[in-house]
Formats: sequence, C-alpha cells, structure tokens
Amino acid sequence: MFELINTLLIGITAGSIYSLMAISIVLVWRSTRVVNFAAGGLALASSFVGAAILEKTGSFWIALPIAMVAGAAFSAFIEYFFLRPLLKRSGDQGAEIFLPIIATLGLLGIIKTILNYIYGDRIGALPPPLSDKGFVVSGESIALSPMRLLILGIVLLLMVSLTVIFQRTNLGLSLRAASFAPEISRLAGIRVDFIRTIGWAISGAAGATAGILQTTNGSGSVSPESFEFSLLLVFGFVAAVIGGIESLVGAVLGGLTLGIILAIILMYVGGSLVFIAAFLILILVLLLRPHGIIGTKGGRRA
Amino acid sequence: MELSERKAAVVHKLHVTNKHRFIGFALIGLAVYILSNTVDEWKAFQGATIAVYVVAIASIILLTGYSGQISLGHGALLAVGAYTAALTQIYLQLPVWICFVAAVLVTSLFGALLGSAAARLSGPYLAGTTLALAVGLPSIANQFSFLGGEQGISFDAGWPPLSFGEAFTQYKWFFWITSLAALIMLWWIQNLLRSRYGRMWRAVKTNEVAAELAGIRVARSKVLAFTVSAGIAGMAGALLAATINNVSPSAFPLALSFSLATGAVLSGVNTLGGVMIGAVALVAIPEIASLVADRWSGSESVASLLPDFIVSALLILTVFLAPKGPIEKLRSRHVK
Repeated sequence: MFELINTLLIGITAGSIYSLMAISIVLVWRSTRVVNFAAGGLALASSFVGAAILEKTGSFWIALPIAMVAGAAFSAFIEYFFLRPLLKRSGDQGAEIFLPIIATLGLLGIIKTILNYIYGDRIGALPPPLSDKGFVVSGESIALSPMRLLILGIVLLLMVSLTVIFQRTNLGLSLRAASFAPEISRLAGIRVDFIRTIGWAISGAAGATAGILQTTNGSGSVSPESFEFSLLLVFGFVAAVIGGIESLVGAVLGGLTLGIILAIILMYVGGSLVFIAAFLILILVLLLRPHGIIGTKGGRRA
Repeated sequence: MELSERKAAVVHKLHVTNKHRFIGFALIGLAVYILSNTVDEWKAFQGATIAVYVVAIASIILLTGYSGQISLGHGALLAVGAYTAALTQIYLQLPVWICFVAAVLVTSLFGALLGSAAARLSGPYLAGTTLALAVGLPSIANQFSFLGGEQGISFDAGWPPLSFGEAFTQYKWFFWITSLAALIMLWWIQNLLRSRYGRMWRAVKTNEVAAELAGIRVARSKVLAFTVSAGIAGMAGALLAATINNVSPSAFPLALSFSLATGAVLSGVNTLGGVMIGAVALVAIPEIASLVADRWSGSESVASLLPDFIVSALLILTVFLAPKGPIEKLRSRHVK
C-alpha cells in the first residue's frame, strides 16, 4: 500500500512535468499546426541558460524566470525566422504536415549540435533548490519531498495562469480566435502572425520550465545528449497526442495518465517495458478515441 | 546547372517506357558490378549500407508520398524484419533466402495490424503513434532473453559461394546481395506505384472524400499501403542485419527512424525517382564532413559534430528550397 502510494506520487510528479512539455507542444500545434520537435531542443537550450544563471547568481528563483524568458525568446525566434516563412511558402497542399515536422527535426538537430559545440562534455548543474528528502509519515519516508511539492506547485501555478490568460484576457481570446479561424480573425483586426509568435513564445516558456523541472527532478545536471530530455520530448509529445493535441486540459490529463501508468509499470513490471507501454497506452486511447481524450471530432468529412 | 536542365528537358520529352526503365535498372546494376570490383572492403560496406537505405527510404516514400500517411517509426519496422530474419535462422535453421522472405511476410503482417489502427488516425496522431513505436519496440529485446538483450543475436548471410573465387570478399558479397535486392524491390515498387494500386493511393492522398465517392475503399487502401510499406521495410531490416551480422536494439534507435525520414525528404518524398539521392546523402555526408573537419579544423568536437550539423542544415534547406525534392525541382524549373 505504502509502495503503491509512493509509486503514484512519483508518477504524478513525472506526469506533471510531461504535462508541461505536452502543453508546450499543444500551444504550437494550436497556433500554427506544426508538430514541434524543436521544443525538446528549446527546453534543453533554456535549461542551459538556467544552469548558467544559477551558477552566476546562486539562486534558483532568479534562474527559473530568466530561463523561461530565454525559452520564450528562442521559441519566438524560431517561429519568426523559420516556420513563418516556411508555412507561407508551402501553402496548404493537402495534409502536408510532414514538411514542418521534418523542418523542426532539422532545427532540433542544429540546436543540439550547437549546444554540443558550446558545452561539449561540460554539463550544466541544476540541483534541486529544496530538499529532495521525502516527508516522514508515521516513521516512514514517503516519495513526496519539498522539491516534489515545489514542482507540483510550479506546474499548477503555470496551468492556472495559462487558463486565466486563455479564458479571461483579450490576448487569450486573440490566441484562441487566431487558431480557430485565422482568416476571420484577420478580418476582425487580429494580427494573426504576431499572435502566432506569442503562442510560440508561451510554448517556449512552458518548455523551458519543463526542462528545468525535469532536470532538477532527475539527475540534477543537463548535458546536450541528455537521455532525460529525449524522454521529456517523446513522452511530452505522446501525452499531447493522448490528450487530443488541441486541448490544454487534454495535455494535462494525458501527461498525468502517462506519468502514473509508466511509474506503475516501472515499479511492478520492468524498466525495459516502459517505452513499449507508452506506445500501447497511446494506441489503446486512440483506438477508443481517434482524436484523443479531449479531442473534437474533426470536421474534415464533407 | 545548364547541363542538368537539359537533362531534365530530355527526361521530360521522352515518353519513358518500361523498356527504358529496364535499361536504366540494368545500367545501375552494371555500375554496381563495376564498382564492387574496384572498391575496398570499407567502401563495399558503405555501398551495401546505401542499398539498405534505398529500400528503407523507398518504403517511406511509398507510404508518405503516395498514400499520404506519416511514419516517424520505420526504424521499428526494420527492427521487426531484422529480428524475424535472425530468429528464423537461429530457431528454424532455414536457408538465408527463406529468412528474408519470412522477414518480409512477418513485417507485412505487423504492418497490417499497425495499419488497421493507423488508418483511423491522421496527422499528428499518426506521427505520435509511430514515434512511440520507434522508441518502444526495440527496447522489448531487453525484456525477453530469446531476443538477446543489449548484445543482440547474430544473423549470418553466409560467405560468398566458392565458385566466385578466393579473392571474392565478404563485404563485396554483401554489396551484391543488398544491391540485387534493392534493384528487385525498386523495380517491383515502381511497377506497383504505376498500377491501379498506386493510382488508388494517390487518389486517397489527394482527396479522401472524392476518392471514396469514386468507389475506392479508403480505409482498406490505407491499410494496404501500410502493409506493403512494412513488408519493404522488413526487407530493409533483414538486409541491414545481414550487412552488420547482428541484430540488437542499438541498431534501431530513434535516430534511425529520423534518418530514414530525413533521407526520404532529401530524396523528395513525392517521387520514387530520387530515392538514391537520400540514401547516398545519408552515407556520404558523414564521410565528407569528417574529411572537411580533418582538413580545416584540428578540433575533435567539430569533427564529431559536423555531420549532424550538415544533415540538419541540409534538411532545413531542402524543406525551404525544394520541398518536393530535388527531382521535382528540376522538372518544374524546366516546365516553367
């Protein structure tokens, strides 16, 4: 019983980080219909920024916001200089989502090689700012530590603020309108291109947070060939797809589902089956609901 | 540029018949034969790798370019083929060519299952599913001992027949086998794509509703494309296993799936004709990059990073400058 609760706690923490990454991917998909594999590279780059700031200032609380700003800036840069011209150029030839995917894969490769060139074998240290020793409940230490609590808190805070932005502000309304009906939004006076860049920027900030939390929750250091970041990218994307790729709530549900089930499998079945389990969860969900947990039935059919 | 334009013009004017194609294939075969007699072992190994990539990339082009379905997980299908071939050899002790046939059949079956699920999915959902498969499938080998874990299991395509003489080397033999297989597969695929199945796939890709109204069973056509593509990928996997003599999870990382997608885009994902370009690029770029790095920079990190950087940059350039691939680019330039 104790073990199960601990496993659940570990799963929820990991899942909430996947949720953030999923949100990052969902935001880009909603604003530009691009599956953004560069998100993994952006998270990595921003985590390096975070580690550098942490080294300079010694404070996690300064490093995190600056890394988020850096992530937003990187992400907006990529949208402005690569994806915008690409999407303008290619037009909408059938369902060509393959080319943008390939472009973001190329960007991921470039970001990784640049980071590798700058950092080489050096790693960026991002140790947990709070104790990661579990709280003691009735004589036994549980998997919930101040650090884990902080992670859950940050994720929750971000989700609440995103919800508020999307539901209660003019910017959020523009973001939703621009992704729902770009042409009509343009006629209504929304600067769709600019709004899309903002969408990418928010996505970059979410990705940066996910990267930093993934590092502090895991090995405590970030390197260009980090396995943790491959995990983050793959599971974040899988979580986004499970959730229906359109919906923020879906991304959170997808991330938590994935995190919890994977933690249980890791604990009770075996580590090498985690990856195939992610595939099975995904395909099960999609067989039952081809557009994800919260997906809308696409109005594609005539 | 002028020369290539003129070539494109010639290609365009000629009505290319099957006879011409056959001559083309025979010429490529002859070139491979001559090459195999002049190059050293390492180059022969690279030649074999190119042939494997040709088959694998052709399977992606068939699926994505013709049937309009995305796969980021073809590395996993290669793994299915490779493991099938190796297991057939180890446990059933059948001759090598039967192992190849088994690889194609089992991977097709796997593809049919996957395709039945995939036919209901589109865009990002399909991309996510295939990606998760690429990450997940090879790691199964660590769970079950008969799959050999991280070390993998061996697959032996055999020594060259003695009648070819003493000087006939191992890798030259692999080069021959893989090239022959690649030529046969390409011949068959190009015929398939020009048959009513190819037309059916393109119809579904271009406009699903219109295709359905024209009497095409959309779901069935998609599953069929997935099945055929998987079978071809299974062949590529078995060939890959033969050239490296071994099947292990590390031979099929996510990076392989990404490289194959890269190769498909560099080849031009909508036409089979460019398939050689991507395959050669995937093998040649690392080689050239390390030469360049050795020549102009003493730094070891540059030498190890340059190949990835060039491939990534080339990928972005291709997407921007020739999104339909180099061959279509030349053709459209001529038509204008």
